[in-house]
Amino acid sequence: MRAKRLIAAASAAALTVGIVVIATPASAAVDICKAKNVTEAGGLDNLVKLAKKEGKLALITTPRDWANYGAIHDAYEKAFGVKITVDNPDGSSQYEIDTMKTAPKPKQPDSIDIGPLVVAQVSPPGGKPLTSPYQVINWKDIPAAAKDPSGLWYGNYGGKLAIVYNATLPVAPTKAADFAKAEYKGVVGITGDPTSSNQAFMSVLAASIGNGGSKNLSDVSKGLELFKAVKTQAPLVKVNSTNLVTGTAKLGFMWDFNALGVVPAAKAAGLDLKFVYPSDFVLQAPPYINAINAKSPNCANARLWQEFVYSQNKGKTAATMTAADLKLSGSKLFAIIQGGQNYFQQSGADPVMSAAMTKKKLLVPSLLDFQVPATAKVVGPATIADVLTAREQIISSWASL
Amino acid sequence: MTLKVIEEGAPTRGRAFLTSCIKNFLPAAPLLLIVGFFFLFPIARLIYVSFLSNENTFTIDNFVTATQEPYRTGFLNSIKIGLFSAAIAAFPGAIAAYFIETRGSSKLRRTIAVMSGVLANTGGIPLAFMFYAALGIQGQLTKILKFFGWDLYAGTFSLGSFMGLLVVYLYFQLPLMVIVFSPAIVSLRREWSEAARNLGASQLNYWIRIGIPLLFPSFIASFLLLFASGFSAYATANALTVGNLPLTPLQIGGLLDGNVSAAQLNLGKALGVVMILISACAVIPYLAIQRRSARWQK
Repeated sequence: MRAKRLIAAASAAALTVGIVVIATPASAAVDICKAKNVTEAGGLDNLVKLAKKEGKLALITTPRDWANYGAIHDAYEKAFGVKITVDNPDGSSQYEIDTMKTAPKPKQPDSIDIGPLVVAQVSPPGGKPLTSPYQVINWKDIPAAAKDPSGLWYGNYGGKLAIVYNATLPVAPTKAADFAKAEYKGVVGITGDPTSSNQAFMSVLAASIGNGGSKNLSDVSKGLELFKAVKTQAPLVKVNSTNLVTGTAKLGFMWDFNALGVVPAAKAAGLDLKFVYPSDFVLQAPPYINAINAKSPNCANARLWQEFVYSQNKGKTAATMTAADLKLSGSKLFAIIQGGQNYFQQSGADPVMSAAMTKKKLLVPSLLDFQVPATAKVVGPATIADVLTAREQIISSWASL
Repeated sequence: MTLKVIEEGAPTRGRAFLTSCIKNFLPAAPLLLIVGFFFLFPIARLIYVSFLSNENTFTIDNFVTATQEPYRTGFLNSIKIGLFSAAIAAFPGAIAAYFIETRGSSKLRRTIAVMSGVLANTGGIPLAFMFYAALGIQGQLTKILKFFGWDLYAGTFSLGSFMGLLVVYLYFQLPLMVIVFSPAIVSLRREWSEAARNLGASQLNYWIRIGIPLLFPSFIASFLLLFASGFSAYATANALTVGNLPLTPLQIGGLLDGNVSAAQLNLGKALGVVMILISACAVIPYLAIQRRSARWQK
């Protein structure tokens, strides 16, 4: 009884005094697996302490060459002395959902990163949600449209679609409508099947706005028309790294934030790949979604990972952290290392908190060597409702395009 | 007396039945266990789940959707590519198997057997990559053909089209035919053709009345195996296409492992059940032919 009252008092104090209480050592009675924010986790220092004690973080389908995740993994491992494992790095969002639903406990991930189109499966109507609610310290900086109000899921980073092309093409493409030009016959494609790949799906949306389509993105018929025009010349090829290197595919849409991984890899294979944003309309896609798995085996790391990924701080990376830094208390260490949102920013992805971070002057420069041209208009981000409508259109017509 | 015999006989017969059961089925127990666990149980489970909605209630909606577009075209295309690739591979494969087995030296036979084994099992992404390197738009063979005046890519050819996939599938279908059909050729005894000739049959007569009827069931069985392998191939097609060529295995893949679909796992399972049904339908004519020809082979 007394203990309970104490905790109640402590959390009430935490709510009113905020940051001061966060740094206070917490009572041992914290139930980390039920903590819905850092206060309930006993403050940042306590969260880091518990996470170090667990020593493990189980992630799923977050490949190192995707959106700068490699650097984020390295920084997290070094700062907190935690070993990260990534199950099925190149797997799909559906794989993540199914793993949460059916995998045995040792295979369960702590945190997921899924596409916006499958987010409805996280909290099925009438069913038990697959995720645990959590609200990061900077919760209010996530736009309302990109999060579940109770914290069952929250947007993370979103890409813009850039045009990727082989530098040997006779004329450099500048906009989506160029895809149908005769000189590109046979080498234009898409990253996958838009009825199962999120990147390919968003490529159809980008093609739509670039082909004179609606800007609200619930109607993508113009995008389908553009790909149909391409296909009447020659079947669409698959735009992936193998096909780009062999010259089978030379032109298509790709996430801007993967340029940093794809371009050097292509260069190593002797291929000059170029990324450029369309000169007319650039699609800002809805963000990928993060959430804590309800069956998370490492509860403290599941939460610390969210805090790290949503940290807006500028500062040190894995390469620049010193031994002295690592001896600092959790909250002090946290304050001097670069947060996940800025790693996404460096990769060229749009961190979900970018608007708030611009205001606070916390954004670091992007490492991309291409920029949205002055002539271009950025459209979006598309809302989840819009893309769900577009999905029906794509599913019903893509197969028979 | 009779009563007594019956009284004593009954338990003896019971015990004998039990012993015979043990004697007959115990050696097969490991196989039965494996078949039950890895084959029957998953199929039963698949069928059960395919009748469930997302809320775990009974429904036939999954099967209704499975017969509508784009899944209907998927089935038609898959059946088409299975049949075409099997039909194109079966005849040359059978003839090749015949000449290798009857005319080839033992060294050649061994080499072909090993090579066919490797080639028939080449599939997936490596196979797709090999074909891109050879027959892709920048492929070496494409360049050579172009040099001699045949531009493969002048029309709408692509490895991701139906024609393209057909060419790629033949790469593993032909050696598969050689492997599965060779044993039938070997079982065709030389004495039979000699006996026929002694009785005055011409070569043609021998083939029409003895050779072909004997080989026919094996040929059909091999054909069906090829059909199943073309009908259900997944990884190669997945690497070569972007969803414009609807094929059932790819559609199942998209439903079970996509980033876009809306919780339609059970629809994917219903498609799987229909695939099993189609394969089963293909086996029924084979069983009929097999029964007819079993009389010959005794």
